[in-house]
Amino acid sequence: MSIVMLLSAITYASILAIGCASITLLYTSTRVFNFAHASMVSWGFYLTFIFYNLFGGSPYTYMVPASIIVGLFGVLTYLLVLRKLIRSKASEITLMMVTLGVDFVFFGFLNILIDYFWYNYKWSIKTVNIVPRDPLLGVISGAPITAVNVVAPLTAIAILMALHVFLSRTSLGMAMRASIENPVLAAITGINVDKIYVLAWFIGGVLAGLSGSLLTMYTQGYSAIGLDYAVLYFAGSIVGGLYSILGGLLGGVLVGFSERLLTYYLSFYISGIYAFRFAIPLAMLIATLIIYPKGLAGLVERR
Amino acid sequence: MMEQALFILINVVFNVSIWLILSLSLNIEVGFANIPQFGRLAAALVGSLAVGGIIGRVAALLAGQPIDERFVENNAYAIMVINSYLSQHPLISVLLLVLALVTSVLLGALIGVATILPAVRLSEAYLGITLLSIAEVLRTFLYNYDPIIGGTRGVSVPAFLQFLNDYSTPVTLALMVLMAITSFAVAEAISRSPLGRAMRAIRDSEVAAEVYGRDVMKIKIYAVMIGSAMAALAGALYTIFTGSSYANDYSRFTWTFLPWAYIMLGGVGNNVGVSLAVIVMSVLRSFIQIYKHELASHLFNIDPSWLEYIIIGLIIILITLFRPQGMLPEKPVFTLPRRRIEEIRKRVLEEKESS
Repeated sequence: MSIVMLLSAITYASILAIGCASITLLYTSTRVFNFAHASMVSWGFYLTFIFYNLFGGSPYTYMVPASIIVGLFGVLTYLLVLRKLIRSKASEITLMMVTLGVDFVFFGFLNILIDYFWYNYKWSIKTVNIVPRDPLLGVISGAPITAVNVVAPLTAIAILMALHVFLSRTSLGMAMRASIENPVLAAITGINVDKIYVLAWFIGGVLAGLSGSLLTMYTQGYSAIGLDYAVLYFAGSIVGGLYSILGGLLGGVLVGFSERLLTYYLSFYISGIYAFRFAIPLAMLIATLIIYPKGLAGLVERR
Repeated sequence: MMEQALFILINVVFNVSIWLILSLSLNIEVGFANIPQFGRLAAALVGSLAVGGIIGRVAALLAGQPIDERFVENNAYAIMVINSYLSQHPLISVLLLVLALVTSVLLGALIGVATILPAVRLSEAYLGITLLSIAEVLRTFLYNYDPIIGGTRGVSVPAFLQFLNDYSTPVTLALMVLMAITSFAVAEAISRSPLGRAMRAIRDSEVAAEVYGRDVMKIKIYAVMIGSAMAALAGALYTIFTGSSYANDYSRFTWTFLPWAYIMLGGVGNNVGVSLAVIVMSVLRSFIQIYKHELASHLFNIDPSWLEYIIIGLIIILITLFRPQGMLPEKPVFTLPRRRIEEIRKRVLEEKESS
């Protein structure tokens, strides 16, 4: 088992897990399965690159502004589009569809922004690759360790801790949990459910942006990178069960690991399997749904 | 000038008929039976496979060309030989064309059943994402696996109507229009049939439909089967017209999400409304595609295809927010008048007695 492979798999799984947590959070809190996730990830990816190109320095410093901007996108989506529909008790499918519309709008504007830099500044921005510029931290038994191998898992763990503390120790977090469990009762006890939803969409957006931002250092990509990875994020969050944020994180880790490591192991037996690696998480998703129609969270759910 | 007008006409007819069939097929599944079909491209892709991968090989057999991996590797040469063979045998060409359409429809129905069977018990969001994932797996597989439809290179498709020389394009277009009209008739017939009413009953209340003795799972499977068969027809026609079968042509945006946008714009569950929306939007899309560069020079060099995304996105959002019933809301479907039903009943009874 090569260390490079393992490190790469851990990094990848962490990045996916952060995005899956976003989808799960938004689904549990507002019943919206967020299709706009794809373009939010792309925006996080490109904002990091654009800030890095404009101001220089370490790309990691731009994780924060990039993900906050994407978080604001989430807030806008909720306030302008979803609030009215959620209040009128629109069906899940309607909510999904409308976020798909939001996704197209985000995607269109992102590409216009890309074209702007491409025409006016002649940046090579159509495909972005700053992976080689990621600083090398050290070498363990011949395996190079780049910064993203450390930053991505640490970020994922930090988010896990922060979400845990936020949801179980702060009054705002408890209010959020109450609104997720029973919005009507929460409203009766004086919680402003609407504000909680705004907050949920902000956090959801931040997590999606963060996931995209970390991808900048992990892989090369173009404007549809979110779209390409979207199916994996969806798979991760559904394998995790869509009902607990922890489940979402776990599902993302599982999907990321299985994609990288299973492909790696199977490549000894089946040549050319690398091209089919996207099929592994999706096969996992389908298998999970057939065996546990409510996802893995159904197994560990405490009631 | 004349040529330009003809080019636009061909483009518009092509776009309208393909996306009309697709949207109507989606309307059967989404509008009638409330199945979140986010994997529409799977059936269309299989329709394309039926033409390029299966009928292409049948033609190769007839023309004495290899059908194993050499068919994919020396595809250009094989298709050239097949085309010269077919241009001398008009009858075989027409038969193959019909066979291609039939195969695609059958294969489409099959893939529809195969995708819905494991997932039919799942509820809304889960079902939608599962269907989307299955479609993505299929597309990724066919894009990377060479032996069937050439993977990343794609395969060319025999020109079935080459014996018509100059008339082959108009005849193909006429065939597409004919198929679109047939699909509309089929969708309307289903809408008015007992099956269609059962689908609507399930859409409005699954429990109530079950109480009245309807087999909900069976009717859902029927809906997906019929819808997928139609979508496969669209994929097959697209392949025949463009002359090549290539997995990445079948993107999520154009083959799943555009039809969704069209049915939402037109009115979910209303075939006439959906058709109207397809015609309006496809004409718009054709013009954006054709006048891309002219438009770009007026738009600060912004590629108009990004504007297309924004327009489609805004249409979805605004329609959902302000007019969820679409351009033409769904109307109650009337069955035959009571008198006609009594007449038919009497006639059937008489026939029974006389026999």
